[in-house]
Amino acid sequence: MDMLTAEKLTAQDYRSDLKPVWCPGCGDYAVIAAIAKALAELQLPREDVAFVSGIGCSSRIPAYSAVYGFHGVHGRALPIATGLKMARPDMTVLVAGGDGDGFSIGGNHFMHACRRNADLTYIVMDNSVYGMTKGQASPTTEPDWEGSKLTPDGTHITPFQPLEIALSAGASFISRAFSGKPAELTRQICEGVNHKGFSLIHVLSPCVTFRPEQRAYKDKVHEEWRPTADRTEAFQKLMADDGFATGILYQGTKPPFRPEMGVPATIAEIEAQFAV
Amino acid sequence: MKTVGEFLAHAIALEEESAVRFDELADALEVHHNNDVTELFRKMAHYSRLHLAEAKEMTLGVDVPHIKPWDFEWPDEEAPETPEMEGTHYMMTPYHALALALESERRGQSFYQGLADNHENDKLREMAKEFAEEEGEHVKLLSEMITRYPPPKEGWDEDMDPPNVAD
Repeated sequence: MDMLTAEKLTAQDYRSDLKPVWCPGCGDYAVIAAIAKALAELQLPREDVAFVSGIGCSSRIPAYSAVYGFHGVHGRALPIATGLKMARPDMTVLVAGGDGDGFSIGGNHFMHACRRNADLTYIVMDNSVYGMTKGQASPTTEPDWEGSKLTPDGTHITPFQPLEIALSAGASFISRAFSGKPAELTRQICEGVNHKGFSLIHVLSPCVTFRPEQRAYKDKVHEEWRPTADRTEAFQKLMADDGFATGILYQGTKPPFRPEMGVPATIAEIEAQFAV
Repeated sequence: MKTVGEFLAHAIALEEESAVRFDELADALEVHHNNDVTELFRKMAHYSRLHLAEAKEMTLGVDVPHIKPWDFEWPDEEAPETPEMEGTHYMMTPYHALALALESERRGQSFYQGLADNHENDKLREMAKEFAEEEGEHVKLLSEMITRYPPPKEGWDEDMDPPNVAD
């Protein structure tokens, strides 16, 4: 433990002046608070951090943060973030989004980001619904959910399993947290940022407007997982998962994707490559 | 928690988190033009900041350690005086806001009282007793205030034109 000093950045230093427009009671409030606390805990200079997002309620987070931000195209947060990390490997790159943005519209990017294992921290606020477009079933929605007029009898489609996909595809850090347990969430974000490789932090973040029954998450979540570097063990834990186990599931040692930078060429040399 | 420094680190975090959360609640309600409740939450945040300043004054000459956010020894998931975000509704009334604040003050009082009753460090116990008494005053004040606002009738949250309707 070190002593308090006046020079330290506080959690509030990582928040912008823009006020969130999320519904009162939304889990995302706790997530952004945890992110700010984690950044303060790590004392990362604000100019060394970038936040990239796609589209959706949770993707508004870069605007509410006082670090570099890029509010990107729907489902394309991960390729943008990967490009940024390749160009500026010195920066800490965080990615935020929801279950629809990340697992449906950006589902293909998600798999390949896991496979690539670039040094990114991907925080997914999963509420199993498209909230911004007013309550349609998302990839993680239960097949029998009848809350949307578009799917009045449920989707009858098997929900996407983000942690299983991430583990299969090659992500080297995988965890799950609950917005109602912000201390644990803060710890996981710190661990994810410190981890060298692709970190998926799957956050159960209730949508109190379109999925009010998710208020009961607090009675369902249970701390279960301790990190393992053994993929078989991690898969076994996932096979027994009820969707509400929390903790760090897997932390591997695969080196992150970082292509060797080529030898710089002069303009004339580059031009010569295009000569007909 | 063993030392007075650790106790003060907890007291500072408790008031700081309370102030931040009340401000967040005020911001969330302001978006919905719920002005009465917004004003109440702002007042609560202000009082928490006053208490925060008092707690910080007490750290003079005391080594206050940095404690990681997940290492605080709270009785529950968050600092005791942090009102629950999920306890809010865009149509909530001053009665609900005061009930939320009263509940958080009661949790704060109980936290300090627990330390005052059971901790082995004499100095820490003495400080905790003082803090518990102060929280008790807040509980009393809020208990009086809430009587000026009768509980809303059933159906208070019915809205013929809600901001979000499932499509």
